[in-house]
Amino acid sequence: MNRAAPDKPDTVSSSPPADAAVPPRPVLLLGLGNDILTDDAIGLEVARALRGELARDPRIEVRETTEMGLALLDFLVGRRAVLLVDAIQTGTVPPGTLLEPDPADWEARGGGNPHLLGVAATLALGRRCGLPMPEWVKILAIEIADPFTLGTALTPALRAALPAAVARARRLLAGLADSP
Amino acid sequence: MEPAVQQTFNEGNLRANAAYRAARRQVIVDPITRLEGHGKIDIYLDERGDVERAYLQVPELRGFEVFCLGRPAEDMPQITSRICGVCPTAHHMAATKCLDDLYQVEPTPAGRKIRELVYNTFVLEDHALHFYVLGGPDFIVGPEAPPAERNIVGVIARVGLEAGKRVITTRKRLRELIAYFGGKVVHPVLGLPGGVSKALDPADLPGFKELARDAVAFAEWTLQIFRDVILKNPDYVELITADTYTHRTCYMGQVDEQNRLNFYDGKLRVVDCNGNEVCKFTAREYRDHVAEHVEPWSYMKFTFLKPRGWQGFVEGPDTSLYGVGPLARLNAADGLATPRAQAAYEEFYRTLGGKPVHHTLANHWARVIEMVYAAERMAQLLDDPEITSPDVRRVPTATPREGMGVVEAPRGTLFHHYQTDERGLITMANMVVATGNNAARIAMSVERAAKALIRGVQDAAQIPEGLLNKVEMAFRAYDPCLGCATHTLPGHTPLRVRIFGADRRLLTEQVQG
Repeated sequence: MNRAAPDKPDTVSSSPPADAAVPPRPVLLLGLGNDILTDDAIGLEVARALRGELARDPRIEVRETTEMGLALLDFLVGRRAVLLVDAIQTGTVPPGTLLEPDPADWEARGGGNPHLLGVAATLALGRRCGLPMPEWVKILAIEIADPFTLGTALTPALRAALPAAVARARRLLAGLADSP
Repeated sequence: MEPAVQQTFNEGNLRANAAYRAARRQVIVDPITRLEGHGKIDIYLDERGDVERAYLQVPELRGFEVFCLGRPAEDMPQITSRICGVCPTAHHMAATKCLDDLYQVEPTPAGRKIRELVYNTFVLEDHALHFYVLGGPDFIVGPEAPPAERNIVGVIARVGLEAGKRVITTRKRLRELIAYFGGKVVHPVLGLPGGVSKALDPADLPGFKELARDAVAFAEWTLQIFRDVILKNPDYVELITADTYTHRTCYMGQVDEQNRLNFYDGKLRVVDCNGNEVCKFTAREYRDHVAEHVEPWSYMKFTFLKPRGWQGFVEGPDTSLYGVGPLARLNAADGLATPRAQAAYEEFYRTLGGKPVHHTLANHWARVIEMVYAAERMAQLLDDPEITSPDVRRVPTATPREGMGVVEAPRGTLFHHYQTDERGLITMANMVVATGNNAARIAMSVERAAKALIRGVQDAAQIPEGLLNKVEMAFRAYDPCLGCATHTLPGHTPLRVRIFGADRRLLTEQVQG
């Protein structure tokens, strides 16, 4: 738990690309979460860790958002492939475990991570309305310990898991970027 | 979490469980599963297979006050808007009004009007999302339709592709207005004590007026869909007005000087179950009127009318329980300040048999009427010549001490309350959120629905999915934002429903998205 250090939370960019005239990079890493709710920030942390090293890759854009549901549409439209990185709390695996749920299966089961719920429906909605939606959507979900305490630091288990999560995200992104 | 904090937390959990077990023989609530990112409804059957009790449990946000301590009060509109990805603008605005009070500064007329404009835009967008994406599919697609179809895509299949396109386009344009003033929708930087950070450039006014006109048309079109798809279906009307979804409680909502609904400002008015005014008070007086009660089986705090005292989960003229949100606001007001919405308001009460209406599922209709009001209010404010005044902020000079602010969040009344030292650093921060204000009524609704719908059940095969969805509908009508935090889609809390037999063994479990 975080003490009341009067520091400001890190800034999160949560708006879609500012200049709609410039076509977005084809592959998007989108970190989801809340940066003042302890482990819920893990998706944002993964995005932050990769932003620098991927900045010069013309194929890949790294973004973060605290938004959910239909708001994801703004980020998905116009991409060829998207990797969503988010927190999850199944309660069935140890904190820090990396999971790669399939968006469609996920919603069929109807459980787990509400940030991601609606991804399949959002994709279907966008396609139905004729918007250019990504062909590929992968999810990297990291099991977390505490998303309910206000705080800006990850719990130890999640801090320890961050490098592995970053490495996995890097590998998944490379797969998406290299796919035809 | 630090070990000491974890231990304290676990001890609290154990005490709660012990009290729970003592009250409900043999029932064990597993502490490991209690804090998953779900709301949870546990339903316990008796020997006949009828519902003995149904409990709604939800995760709660922790550490808000500790997190805020020592921070500059001016950061609160940003911090509190980050708490929730669902109601950022509601928290932002309640916090901003709290800062006005803290610094004893009245916003300039233009500043006030810009705030109200942005706020109504937010309410319209949020309500539209609920109608088309979250709560509405229960009706438009059908309460017993498979979950995979009970969503926006299913809505499009019923009412046409036009609906999807209009929702997407309108939402985008409404958010552009919010972003114009606030920079970012999720973490707006609009509100400052004494006003707002940005004026409306007269050159941009025509575009926004056009948006408001389109928004009114969109809201009225939505109201027509409600009439055509829901009101013309006798089964749905029967469902809405069924005793299963009806509670006679008090209602709270913010009103202007003529007792007309206002989302942004005014006084809070409470009416009893017969529609008689119980009290009317300002944000400053909220502690004289609102108190919180805790139960051993829930993390939720159940608010009640303080002068009446906690009397338990009871209904009727003397109950201390009240509802908030769209239906409660219409019940607590004498009318709406815009013509089309007022006509819709009158149609609502004419159709449902006069005021107040106690049917929880009528929240869906009330929400659409509020969409019309919000859109018309946007247009009214944009027609006001003062809206483009550059005088959008009065700089405060007083020494801060204590502030209280209130707004009507889409889900209901939201209070913020801060105390600071003389430098304006937070020494105390408290929030009473909409879902807390509704908590007692929600708990009653869930139990009532469970008892009415689940009867004579001996095995899981007798519990079709649609039945449990009908229990959840009692909960979903409130558009609850549980935890007021993470793990909530807009009004879309994942919910786990479990049914236990008379022997307390799990009969069935369903998880809804």
